[in-house]
Amino acid sequence: MTQAESILVIGAGIAGMKASLMLAGPARKVYLVERLPIIGGKTIKNEESFPNMECSTCMVAPIQQAVLQNPHIETLTYSAVESIEGSAGDFSVSVRIKARYVSLEACIGCGMCFEVCPVTLPNEWEESLIEKKAIYVPCSGSLPNVPVIDSERCLKLNGTEECNLCVESCAFEAINLEDEDRLLELKVGALILATGSETFDLSALPGLGYGALPGVYSPMEFERLFASNGPTMGEITLRGSGAVPDRVAIVHCAGREEQGYCSGICCMYSFKFVRFLKHKLPDVQVFNIHSDVCVPGKNYEDFFRSVNGGDTEMLFTSSIADVHVSGTDSGLRVAYPDGGGVTADLEVDMVILAAAIIPAPLTARLAELAGVELDDSGFIRTSLDGSGSMETSRAGIFTAGTVEGPKDIQSTVIQAESAAGQVAFLMSSMADLTERDPSGKSVKS
Amino acid sequence: MSETGTGKTEMTARVGVYLCECGPNIAGKIDLDKVMADILSESDRYRNVELVIRRYGFLCSGPGKQYLEDEIKENGLTHLVVAACSPRDHDSTFMEVCSRTDLNPYLYRIVNIREQCSWVITDPEEATERAATYIRGSISRVLRQSSLFEKPLEINPDAVVIGGGAAGMEAALALSSDLRRVFLVEKSASLGGGCGITMPQEKAVIEDPNVDIYLETQMSSVIGFLGNFEIGLKSADGKDEEITAGAIILAIGSDYSDPQESGRISFSESDEVHILAEAERTLEAAGDLKLRDGTMPETIAVVHCVGREEQGYCSGVCCSSSLKLAAAIRRLSPETAVTSVYRDLCLPGADGENVLRMARESGVELIRTKGTSLSGMELDLEKMDGTSEKRSFDMIIPAAAIVPAADTVSLAEMLRIPLDEHGFFKEAHRMTDPAGTTTEGVFIAGTAHGPMSVMSSMRFARACAGQVLTRLVPGERIVPEVKVTEILEAYCTGCGNCLDVCVYGAIYADTDRGISVVNEAVCRGCGNCFASCPSGALRTRHFTNEQIFREVDEALR
Repeated sequence: MTQAESILVIGAGIAGMKASLMLAGPARKVYLVERLPIIGGKTIKNEESFPNMECSTCMVAPIQQAVLQNPHIETLTYSAVESIEGSAGDFSVSVRIKARYVSLEACIGCGMCFEVCPVTLPNEWEESLIEKKAIYVPCSGSLPNVPVIDSERCLKLNGTEECNLCVESCAFEAINLEDEDRLLELKVGALILATGSETFDLSALPGLGYGALPGVYSPMEFERLFASNGPTMGEITLRGSGAVPDRVAIVHCAGREEQGYCSGICCMYSFKFVRFLKHKLPDVQVFNIHSDVCVPGKNYEDFFRSVNGGDTEMLFTSSIADVHVSGTDSGLRVAYPDGGGVTADLEVDMVILAAAIIPAPLTARLAELAGVELDDSGFIRTSLDGSGSMETSRAGIFTAGTVEGPKDIQSTVIQAESAAGQVAFLMSSMADLTERDPSGKSVKS
Repeated sequence: MSETGTGKTEMTARVGVYLCECGPNIAGKIDLDKVMADILSESDRYRNVELVIRRYGFLCSGPGKQYLEDEIKENGLTHLVVAACSPRDHDSTFMEVCSRTDLNPYLYRIVNIREQCSWVITDPEEATERAATYIRGSISRVLRQSSLFEKPLEINPDAVVIGGGAAGMEAALALSSDLRRVFLVEKSASLGGGCGITMPQEKAVIEDPNVDIYLETQMSSVIGFLGNFEIGLKSADGKDEEITAGAIILAIGSDYSDPQESGRISFSESDEVHILAEAERTLEAAGDLKLRDGTMPETIAVVHCVGREEQGYCSGVCCSSSLKLAAAIRRLSPETAVTSVYRDLCLPGADGENVLRMARESGVELIRTKGTSLSGMELDLEKMDGTSEKRSFDMIIPAAAIVPAADTVSLAEMLRIPLDEHGFFKEAHRMTDPAGTTTEGVFIAGTAHGPMSVMSSMRFARACAGQVLTRLVPGERIVPEVKVTEILEAYCTGCGNCLDVCVYGAIYADTDRGISVVNEAVCRGCGNCFASCPSGALRTRHFTNEQIFREVDEALR
């Protein structure tokens, strides 16, 4: 197989996985690089996805399995791209595969090693709502279901003491504390950047109380709080007190003004949170403090209507920027200017902030490595010719999903399929050129 | 057919039963020696069957797979049962092992004695007993299984695109090459579709030697499946033509709702009320918007969200189009006062924010209301502070909702694909297969799928193209599902129940013979028809009644 027939996909979320599955085959090999020790991306953090309230992990698990079992996809988890040189059809990429210390082949994911590990640390994958061991999988249901050791916190690896408990606990001799990083040099014909996005850093909005008031939650924290494989096994209880919330306010558009755009999906995930809350706590009162309801497309208004009025009270504010959350003796107070511009108060015991979708911190670094342009918001720029093309400013490098801008799962998958098509077209054109009269049709993208 | 059943013959079957220890994961809980002894002690229950029963450390390991392969060959196994983990983990692993031998992979079965047994049953004795029960059931089932063979099919890589708007043209351009022809079929006399503006791709499509353009032509018939469709085309002058292609992309676009279907909006023919798309076209063509008497309007109101309530969805693009139009009018005739009346502003993305800024900067008056009604040329605005106001305008532009095109229903019937609750073509899966339909090889692009922007339409078109480009590779063959349903013709009464329940359009009625016929290349083996058949004429391969009942009988014994 020549480099023109290999493809590198960076990011194993739903976009990267879909594109990889479409492209991999007897004639094309795909290298799928993922920074985390598991594949699946952000989608698997959501127990259910709007608007069908479909079980996300059930939806994504077959895709994850298909990726891991595909003989034409080489999945490189816990890995990072370090350099990208060359041009369309002839890229050289170096990938660092971080030492995992646990053999992907030998480990069967029984979990005996977690139990004996004496070190606990915050589990960032679970939004630090729970702890994990120094040898861990990020969540139950991880794929591949093979742990990794945090080398900075492992007592043996950081030199604190001669702990060998995990090695001794493993019946499969899968743990090797001598493991080292490996560098892999790949020759590929094209790349797809699909590294996803982040949510707005809510601590930048002190008026909304995130970080200072324990009852104020980020959307990802609330997703995990609801998840049955999450830190509370799906029980919605308040941070600190452990009490069940009676009144919840969802404040829309957190970070919209700061980012300078509407993310287009936060209204929908907010309404999904209403469903989550009413599903588990039928007597809870939920308020949505909003300015505009943005539910575009054929499926979303129905969903909004299903919660509006019955399950939640929609409270209009003339200015999201003037919403203020403060602590009271019994809980939280949300002050907001109403439709007439008069300040209204709402007493609640939980606040969820509908945070904007923003570029992931590593996007700028990736763009620099790949030599591709970012747009004014910091997402990867595409479709420079206005044709809907998923090609970036650098020929042969494509992108898909929320690394290109905020979007829902459907649009993410559409972009992945578009990018895969463009890569396939590029590859066949190049293969074609080598064996045919070069006066044939030129490459379109 | 490909059935070579061995279960019913008098030949001796040699069934291999291999128990994986999975280290302590299975062997630590289940007494595998006892399981083996129990099953062997009853082996006389199976007539003409020899059992080979063994245990092994890790069957999924490299040496484990080699061991299994050698065992199959050396013992001349005719059937194989592997008692190990979840089929999710290693079903394909052991099918792969079978395919390296003469044993057909469909004469093998995996039994999950880990996730469904040793990991979840605390009492070792109970787990041991349960494992033996599961394995007995599977021995019984595997003896009724039949060999199945993949039948790769030649494919035609060409594509038919129905609709010559932005989506259709983009799909055609994304697909066409010297290796692949595209037939672009457009009902009207020109390309361009409903965008109201000249699309930049038009010239490229016309000049593309690999795109055949059929104007004033419609699809009149279709039969076939992914890789092999025969499509009838009918032109406006009555000419018929048949073409063949491997895929069909539906890019027929959409229409606009009638603003007056909303009870809150009423006006007469003579009123200066023009829907947004019309106003956009006039402005593009004429450079200004005049009243019917030829004078310039002094005041114009653009009313957002007309039809949102009635259609039950937000079209998602009207806010942006409305504000763009409002700003354009202000730019072209600064003396005209333009007011945008909206309920919510739906302007996702950085572009949306730019449009809003542009509208503000160009002096468009923005009024948020709880609701708006129109009578003649007078708007009744229900404001956010609870007050209401009546205002008259010289021209009113309602932003009507995007609704399915009139042809959607007939095309869906012809292709046997379902519509969604709003009457657009329904996607195969909202999230994981949004451009596909239940019929493999038929894809949806642009506003035929639902309201969306021109950019999204082109992305959907490229996604459809992506499916075709990666699935129909010139020179490669495709392998249809082998676990499909077959019809036992002698039992079929032609009642047609199965036709109604088949979501893939895989069954058709052979009216001459009075029976139903399954197109195996289209069938996905879902089993709906099998369950609906009153005469037992349908059989889904690898999931026959006999296979399932024997397994259950044995497990419940």
